[in-house]
Amino acid sequence: MLFRYFITFTVVYNLPCNTLSLINLHNQQLNSLRLLYLMATMATTLTSSLSSTNSSTDPLSELQSLRSASDSAAIHLTDSLFRRILSHHPRSFSLLIFFDATQLHNKPELQLQSLKSEFKLVAKSFFENNQGNPDELSKVFFGVIEFGESQATFAKFGVNSLPHIRLVGPTDKDMKSEPVKMDAGDFSRLAESMAEFVESRANVVVGNIVRPPLVSKKQMGFIVLGVLIMLPFLIKRVIAGDTLLHDWKIWMSGAVFVYFFSVSGAMFNIIRKMPMVIPDRNDPNKLVFFYQGSGMQLGAEGFAVGFLYTIVGLFLALMTHVLVRVRNVNAQRLVMIVALFVSFLAVNRVVLLDNWKTGYGIHGYWPSSWN
Amino acid sequence: MVAAETAKDKALRYAFGNVLCFFILLLIGVLAFSIRIFSVIKYESVIHEFDPYFNYRVTQFLTKNGIYDFWNWFDDRTWYPLGRVIGGTVYPGLTLTAGTLWWTLNALNIPLSVETVCVFTAPIFSAFAAWATYFLTKEVKGTGAGLAAAALLAMVPSYISRSVAGSYDNEAVAIFALIFTFYLYIKTLNTGSLFYATLNAIAYFYMVCSWGGYTFIINLIPMHALLCIVTGRYSPRLYIAYCPLVVLGTLLAALVPVVGFNAVLTSEHFASFLVFIIIHVVALAYYIKGILSPKMFKVAVTLVVSVGLVVCCGVIAILVALVASSPTKGWSGRSLSLLDPTYASKYIPIIASVSEHQPPTWPSYFMDINVLAFLVPAGIVACFLPLSDASSFVVLYIVTSVYFSGVMVRLMLVLAPAACIMSGIALSEAFSVFTRSIKFQLPGLSQSHQMDAGDSVSEPSGDVIQNDIVKTDRHDEPVKERPTRRNKKKEKENVDKASKPSIKSKIENRLLVLPLETSIIALFLLVLLGAFYVVHCVWAAAEAYSAPSIVLTSHSHDGLHVFDDFREAYAWLSHNTDVDDKVASWWDYGYQTTAMANRTVIVDNNTWNNTHIATVGTAMSSPEKAAWEIFHSLDVKYVLVVFGGVVGYSSDDINKFLWMVRIGGGVFPHIKEPDYLRDGQYRIDSQATPTMLNCLMYKLSYYRFADTDGGKGFDRVRRTEIGKKNIKLTHFEEVFTTHHWMVRLYKLKPPRNRIRSKTKKSKSKSSTATNLKRSGTGKKNPWH
Repeated sequence: MLFRYFITFTVVYNLPCNTLSLINLHNQQLNSLRLLYLMATMATTLTSSLSSTNSSTDPLSELQSLRSASDSAAIHLTDSLFRRILSHHPRSFSLLIFFDATQLHNKPELQLQSLKSEFKLVAKSFFENNQGNPDELSKVFFGVIEFGESQATFAKFGVNSLPHIRLVGPTDKDMKSEPVKMDAGDFSRLAESMAEFVESRANVVVGNIVRPPLVSKKQMGFIVLGVLIMLPFLIKRVIAGDTLLHDWKIWMSGAVFVYFFSVSGAMFNIIRKMPMVIPDRNDPNKLVFFYQGSGMQLGAEGFAVGFLYTIVGLFLALMTHVLVRVRNVNAQRLVMIVALFVSFLAVNRVVLLDNWKTGYGIHGYWPSSWN
Repeated sequence: MVAAETAKDKALRYAFGNVLCFFILLLIGVLAFSIRIFSVIKYESVIHEFDPYFNYRVTQFLTKNGIYDFWNWFDDRTWYPLGRVIGGTVYPGLTLTAGTLWWTLNALNIPLSVETVCVFTAPIFSAFAAWATYFLTKEVKGTGAGLAAAALLAMVPSYISRSVAGSYDNEAVAIFALIFTFYLYIKTLNTGSLFYATLNAIAYFYMVCSWGGYTFIINLIPMHALLCIVTGRYSPRLYIAYCPLVVLGTLLAALVPVVGFNAVLTSEHFASFLVFIIIHVVALAYYIKGILSPKMFKVAVTLVVSVGLVVCCGVIAILVALVASSPTKGWSGRSLSLLDPTYASKYIPIIASVSEHQPPTWPSYFMDINVLAFLVPAGIVACFLPLSDASSFVVLYIVTSVYFSGVMVRLMLVLAPAACIMSGIALSEAFSVFTRSIKFQLPGLSQSHQMDAGDSVSEPSGDVIQNDIVKTDRHDEPVKERPTRRNKKKEKENVDKASKPSIKSKIENRLLVLPLETSIIALFLLVLLGAFYVVHCVWAAAEAYSAPSIVLTSHSHDGLHVFDDFREAYAWLSHNTDVDDKVASWWDYGYQTTAMANRTVIVDNNTWNNTHIATVGTAMSSPEKAAWEIFHSLDVKYVLVVFGGVVGYSSDDINKFLWMVRIGGGVFPHIKEPDYLRDGQYRIDSQATPTMLNCLMYKLSYYRFADTDGGKGFDRVRRTEIGKKNIKLTHFEEVFTTHHWMVRLYKLKPPRNRIRSKTKKSKSKSSTATNLKRSGTGKKNPWH
């Protein structure tokens, strides 16, 4: 079954290729954005917190105790702790580090917070799945390091863009080049792909990712209880035919809304995580609302056209079902003129927009003698 | 006017209307058929693309060997050396349909070839689909809407794209089956007739035979039944429409080998069983309500509800536990990605990577359903005024299908009929209001209507619009009849005769009119919109969707160029190679090779065995010697490569090559994608990596390529000069290259004298490699 559909993607190879490159382009833009943020923050907070704490104890036991102390099994790393870890060489463990920056948490396009929680999830799953196996447990440690308080480490790794995850192997010395960087592809599928990365690079078994359930057991119990209590009343009302569900207007507006939502390509925006608007490449102060080129659209653009698609039909319905019942002829006339005018404009606009966006141009097949 | 009519006149009028309706339907059928034969006129009567070639081959087998052999067919011409069980792994609907058509025609002494029948199956079934749409919409909103919807469906671009002549694929018959199943469901719902319910189950069976999309039906109909129950619209008619379908339909579906026990085991079908239980509970409740007094009923309800709830909870808990125990919760990946649009992009890259599974942007809607996108909301509103069982079904149909189409562009095909039905309803309602307004307000008499319908329509002129005039006439004629007919019925009940009621109805109608001038404008604009739709559809059929992709054309300043290289290559294969020779190529060309060249292939478009594909991918991405060894171990004698660098054909093997590397690397880890990329970029020029320059695909594609343009070696697809120009082949030799170089065939050289190469190997490893090369190129092949 699956494979039958396989066929097409090379057949129409050009299409995904185009979209991919566009997305890459978009990603590049985002990347440059990220870089910019970090550069700025680095410049403003030029501090060097070079404290000299030179302990020669094995960091392994310290890390273990830190891990069991933290509730997510991901260790909060600092410059000094990290320096102590590095002072041992070779080490008996690998260290997977998530580079975090609190001041960038408000940039939704970086998704730092969600990635961080996924990262912690992997750490926790690893910790819990290997409880009975201390050897395995001491092979890998998960650490989170924060930019604001540990800039020296950021500099040591040469991290200039986020999100950034590195795996420091037992023998790595030069932090700039040796530790393996986790590609964007490796955290695209969130915790699962991160776990795969760790399993393949550090030779450990992470095991199943234990996601905390959306609702806890207690809440679940309450909900079930609530539903059970409500059910008889609901059934009574259903039998009596007196619920919101029996109001056709709600169904109608729901149906029209789903239609509007779908034809506006909102699914595309959700799946591809398209922004509503993007800044103009030539003039950063301006915003681009409409993207030229087929195979991609921006959020605002989709909703605008979806609105145009829907409004025409609604006007038509207004004329045929509501307006005919109006007794005032002049009101009818006025509303009709407005509706027809708007509809005409809407259709015209969509055709023109499509023409502009995709180079759409049709022609009739008139007899050649007419030309 | 109505008053003047006697009963005889009325009968005559209805008879006339029916005859007119029949001829209009006939014309719609002709339109649906003829708009799809652009591909035959512009190109030739040929099967298109890839999958249709497989279907064609299966049909050939069926017509030659009969149905039992077809059922048990084990195909050894493909997936060598594994073979493939065809009978149990295909949806047989399409092949059986075309086979039956061919048999019937032959029995009537019309000696058409199987290929011709296959080419024209899709257009014929589009006509059927249009008629089915008529019946479906007629059940919902009357004849006028039905005719409008049928006319719209006959030329909706989305459907045309899958059903042009030559596009011999499952969807061609499946859309007809889909609409017809829905029609029978609604017909049963409206009549409560068990006869139609049985027909419905059989139509569903035909749909299951034809296309995997049948799961849409088996989820949509339960959803509708549930909706009816929840909104208090339960009726015995609903029971008759639903239960036989589930029981008979599931039994019949399980008869199709490719579905089999999936019909009861997978989650896609569970909804229907759940609703089956619910509808029985509800039916029981209604029955008890009927035989008990209201007071007793209340007592019974409290009793049953409390007991029933416990039982229900238990059953649901067991069901949930059962379903949850399977890793994907019993749903296939594609169904899940429909429910949760972001699912595929997160977890199943292979589904997400297919271009047909991409979510569409707004221009796709404009391209595929065109102005229908504007009309659908009006249709939705019309369906709610008033809401009936039938109209609630089409609303549900449009809402689900439009949502699904938003997730996957491929499902636009399922949306198209729904959009046509809705737009047909909207158009017919609008036309009836506007023409009524004109009719009752024109200073002339009742006959004046005929004239102004003509007037308003004749304003735009031209060939294509002429077509639309017919259409608009279609819309208003039967629709106008409807209200009068309805009024008549009412009046009959009132047993009022003569002029009184007719005046009443006239007044009623007079109240429900719009101003004259604006109505004329509105009518004009609607006709304009329809005309635009017709022009768009004809354009789409002629320009966008008719290319067969096996024969390519290009227009340039010096005229039309035809590239018929594929068939040239396949013909060469079938004439110049042994019947049992094995041909290796990337899987895209597997179906075509088996169907047209009749040679055994290693992999084909039914990509059921990933390892096998990965083996071929690995061979293509390996250096020559390793590739030779892989191919030799598979008994391959010829390698087929598609190359577009000379003429600029962009979907060639070099462009698909990264997929070969990825799929190959997925199974054989020594193939690593980064080895083929320079700094993450795929390039074939002098910056390409040595692995890339030495892999088999590169060599076979660009062998002797530099000779074509005087040593420059400029690739017209990648728009660069190639990185390696004097390619020498050691283990392969070129045997055939087509006229435009689009297909290149190579033969594996026979294994050379082993003793000699072994002794050499023992001497020194490094020298053997170079020696082999030299001796390989210098030697003539004993095969020639």
